Amino acid sequence: MTTQVSPKRSRLDPEPMPRRDWLGLGALWAMAVSFLFATVGMMRLPKAAVLPSPSKKFRVALPETLAAGEPFVPPGRSVALFRDEEGVYAISTVCTHLGCIVKPAADGFECPCHGSRFAPDGEVRKGPAPKPLAWLKVSVSGSLVTIDEGTTVPQGTKVA
Amino acid sequence: MKKNKYLLLLSSLVTLVLLAAAAIEENFFREWRRIQRSARSDSGIAALQLRQIVNPSLKVADRCVSCHLGMAPGESLVRGADVLRPHKPVVHDPSEFGCTICHGGQGQATFKEDAHGQVEFWPEPMLPREMSWAGCGSCHVALGVPSQTTLRRAELAFERLDCYACHRVDSRGGTIRPDRGGMEGPDLSFTGLRGWDGAWHEKHAKKAASEGGAWRKSFSPVSEEDQRLLEVFLRTRVGASSLVRAKSVFLSAGCLGCHRVNGVGGDDGPELNAAGLKDPGRLIFAGVPGGRQVSAWMAEHLRSPVSVVAGSLMPPVLLPEEDIRQLTFFTMSLRARELPDRYLPRDRVRAVRFGEREFSTDGETLYGAFCAGCHGSDGMGRRLPGLISFPSVAHPDFLAIAPEELMQRTIEEGRPGRRMPGWLKPEGLRPEEIRTVVAHLRRLGGVAPEPDPRPRRWVSSDVELGRRLFESYCRGCHGPEGRGGEGPALNNKVLLAGATDTYLVETIRRGRRGTAMGGFAEPTPVRPALSQAEIEAIVSFLRSLEGGSS
Amino acid sequence: MPAIGTKDALTEFRENLRAAPKRILETAFRTGLPTTDRSRSTFVFGNVFLHLHSVRTHRWSLRWLTTAGLGIATLAAFLITLVTGVLLMFYYKPYPEVAYQSIKDIHFVVPTGRFIRNLHRWAANVMVVTVILHMARVFYTAAYRRPREYNWLIGIALLVVTLALSFTGYLLPWDQLAYWAITIGANIAQSPREVTDALGITEWFDPGGLQRLLLLGSDTVGEEALIRFYLLHVMLLPLVLAALLAVHFWRVRKDGGLARPDDADDILARERREETYPVFTEQPQKTYHLAAIVRGRTPAVGRGPENTVPSMPHLFYAEFGVLMLTVAVCLLLSLLWDAPLKELANPNVPENPAKAPWYFLGLQEMVSFSAFMGGIGVPTIVLIGLGLIPYLDREAEGTGRWFGGPGGWPLVRLSLLFGFAAALGVEAFAIRFGWLREWFPNIHQLAITVFNPGTVLTALYAAFSIWAMKRHNSTRAGALALFTCFLCGFTVLTVIGTYFRGPNWEFFWSPADWPGH
Repeated sequence: MTTQVSPKRSRLDPEPMPRRDWLGLGALWAMAVSFLFATVGMMRLPKAAVLPSPSKKFRVALPETLAAGEPFVPPGRSVALFRDEEGVYAISTVCTHLGCIVKPAADGFECPCHGSRFAPDGEVRKGPAPKPLAWLKVSVSGSLVTIDEGTTVPQGTKVA
Repeated sequence: MKKNKYLLLLSSLVTLVLLAAAAIEENFFREWRRIQRSARSDSGIAALQLRQIVNPSLKVADRCVSCHLGMAPGESLVRGADVLRPHKPVVHDPSEFGCTICHGGQGQATFKEDAHGQVEFWPEPMLPREMSWAGCGSCHVALGVPSQTTLRRAELAFERLDCYACHRVDSRGGTIRPDRGGMEGPDLSFTGLRGWDGAWHEKHAKKAASEGGAWRKSFSPVSEEDQRLLEVFLRTRVGASSLVRAKSVFLSAGCLGCHRVNGVGGDDGPELNAAGLKDPGRLIFAGVPGGRQVSAWMAEHLRSPVSVVAGSLMPPVLLPEEDIRQLTFFTMSLRARELPDRYLPRDRVRAVRFGEREFSTDGETLYGAFCAGCHGSDGMGRRLPGLISFPSVAHPDFLAIAPEELMQRTIEEGRPGRRMPGWLKPEGLRPEEIRTVVAHLRRLGGVAPEPDPRPRRWVSSDVELGRRLFESYCRGCHGPEGRGGEGPALNNKVLLAGATDTYLVETIRRGRRGTAMGGFAEPTPVRPALSQAEIEAIVSFLRSLEGGSS
Repeated sequence: MPAIGTKDALTEFRENLRAAPKRILETAFRTGLPTTDRSRSTFVFGNVFLHLHSVRTHRWSLRWLTTAGLGIATLAAFLITLVTGVLLMFYYKPYPEVAYQSIKDIHFVVPTGRFIRNLHRWAANVMVVTVILHMARVFYTAAYRRPREYNWLIGIALLVVTLALSFTGYLLPWDQLAYWAITIGANIAQSPREVTDALGITEWFDPGGLQRLLLLGSDTVGEEALIRFYLLHVMLLPLVLAALLAVHFWRVRKDGGLARPDDADDILARERREETYPVFTEQPQKTYHLAAIVRGRTPAVGRGPENTVPSMPHLFYAEFGVLMLTVAVCLLLSLLWDAPLKELANPNVPENPAKAPWYFLGLQEMVSFSAFMGGIGVPTIVLIGLGLIPYLDREAEGTGRWFGGPGGWPLVRLSLLFGFAAALGVEAFAIRFGWLREWFPNIHQLAITVFNPGTVLTALYAAFSIWAMKRHNSTRAGALALFTCFLCGFTVLTVIGTYFRGPNWEFFWSPADWPGH
């Protein structure tokens, strides 16, 4: 019932492929690899190369009349600056629990979000906060103080 | 079928190669990456990454610091190529202000040509390096700047009196106290902004008298004249001495006579508030030496306006090259931009909102700023090809007989219908300033006005005769009906209202020596002398033109 | 509860966990490797992404000369713009001024941003070119004939949506080029006013004004226009395009695959180089088991020795080949040339000349003579004309052949000659001597609306095609003549609009002659 067909083949037989179809497989793999390469490249796009936020390092002039233990919060920054006889130091006001900004209070800091309380040196007194407030790197030149929000220093580091 | 497999294979391989090439180029050979890789520093450079200075209120996101690593916030002691040098110490912290607000250019770019703004379609290229201080004009306005000569004398006075021995100004001078440290005297770089102690001279004198030693040797009393000069010096210390110097040249070249800057000046020419922000894409550079730079165009425009702006009516600025350079430098600094309140400098608020003058209000400066462009820096008038001539206003023959009212009214109201504008207006001068200018003109001429016993109007003569005489002798220069031509318009209502008859008669009689107006009391080879009666007749005729249109 | 003699539950659990990876693969790909005809059929038929394809493809459809892969190339270009467009949406902000800054950031700072943006722009341009070429191919092979008339209409709709996508995207960078191009476009939308003003009825009937208002959301090009264009460009039009595409491809299936000449098998037999084996050597009574529910045409019905091959892998090689070729071409273009970005849009400083996107420049050239005719009149005539082609030409001769039908290639050649000559002639006349308004300053605007280079050219082409119809006694001949003339006219007008029009739309031989700026 089949005509002009060699007896070996039938309707449902695969096409004659005496050798591996290197060309076809190679072509498909080349395509797949190039798509993979392209995808990896494209996945880099959403990761922003520059962040649209002000630099983490900034300079402020400490007011002359700052009493020891009195906090100075530069406008727009989540840092509290202090000066005492040992020197200048900066404590981050970002709560270590979930990132709310803590308020300086008479006996340290308090966080409005979940009620964490911190001592004046940043140690946790109460509340869900797991770690003390970070002390930030500070350098002083004259009346200008440079704070590096991106670098932490051990608690108690004061710069004269 | 095979063809398709080949097609697929080949195009996939080509795609792969192109993608790989793009990836390598972006990740290894970008200019900023190469520069950052070459940088060395003691503290170790942080990761290879794009850096930027962001200031949302100034709408700044400057990536210059990706290549200029030494200027990035927090980086210090970066060694390597020139591009990595740190920023010179300046008043405004680049970490807060960014770079483009002072230097211009395209801050968002990360390729050199684009970042320096020297590409098509970026309207604000970077200021040339030698003109970096012109960037101060983005925000600031220097107040009370005097004329070129006065400023120069003030600067020399500060040098001559050896004030630099104790005081530091713009990183120059000053000595450190050997025993206690600190400077002998305060830094005077910003006295123009912060003010200074008005009783400084008495205090210096008292200290010299009491302390002795180094004080007595180095300080001696200063003359009144010199004290005034030192006040000028202190008033102009704003941290940009080269720009102030350039501004004094501007205020001596008479530019404000035709152009308005920050709301003050004439309106013959365009307002110059944004002259430094000209878009090079809209300028024609044919015939401008020095390449496609806005500053080169500006300089050539000063030298020969009509060759860079078709149809320009501006006369060429015939000043030495150095002055042209200064004028270009100052004009490039006219680039004020909108600023949020937090960043508005006090000097700009004082100028724009409270009307404090950018120029010193002494006669020499006022004349130099508003009048010298047309009437000459010596007050003897100017004659420019293709334009009507501008009369001399400090001519001795004029000043001897000119009534005060004529001079004051002419400056206040101008000569309507002619080129002289009226200056008593919000964008012009105030009455006391105009009086200062008139006094200055009298000083320039060095001639005191002659007393005139007669009343203002005393001539009464034959108008018809006067008309005929006018046609014969006066019309050639002063135009039919006194409309004006080579000589001033005589039918002008301001002239006729301010002039006394004596003035008119004496002018005709004596003429103005050295100008085309001869004295008609004397004969010349081409015409006879006019008698007193004839002169009075002409004056009657001129008076008859009063009330007519100018 | 485990039955006696089998493993306990814990062992079962461990074995199942170990076998899970292999089982995941097996349940996802149930048909196994497609190496037999049956498995290949099931692979295509049973896969949600692939089953739009027929299980077998006629060898004629896979010939390069049949289609040149233009349809797939257009789809490939669309996919590239889709993917790159989505990526650009991570950073693009659709508000004036901020939009420009965001594009600058994409160009300078975003990782691979410059490359992706260039790719988006180039792929969009490639898509417009290939869609026009695809339409020309379908026309010249008379593949719009019965039963494919409706698919031709869908194709025209796709053409319009493609141009609309390109046009809406043009505004998004908010630079001088974008702003003024769209200002012109919006004013062209308003051009019916040319007619209603001349008739004095604008006060009561103002379709022009309405069109412009709908387009811009305001009376000037501003933030309202930008957000509308953004919405159209990233959501509405792509959805419309996707829906139309689905119909377009489905129709290809239902119409029995790509059009073939009646003697396709003979031609294939002559061309045949590869061994391929015939399947269904006897006339089948039905098609595949499940597909027997649907009555329709398949390649297998009514023909002798079968000339089809399994779609998997042959059709897919062809499709992927064209896809990768398009990708490679677009990549190369993106690496060589940056997408343009001029200065920030400035409503106070008009670009001179302000030019529409290149595919509309032919239109703008006509608009320079009559806003209504160039903007609405002639394009409407063209679209209606294109749409009517399959309904006016109902002959059967030459379907599936290049330049098939009475007239053939010689007629096309003649039409090329006439088309170019007429377009160049009318343009040269208008450029050299001006048009009605220059000779009769007070002439009524309607006279110009009716009689201008656009309408003159249209009339000349129409006359020529009527001549061709009479000459060859065939509607197809008329269609061949008219379509060819249309392509020539489009090319000539676009080239003149692109290269020879300078400030104030005056004619210049070269940009070096442009005054000033």
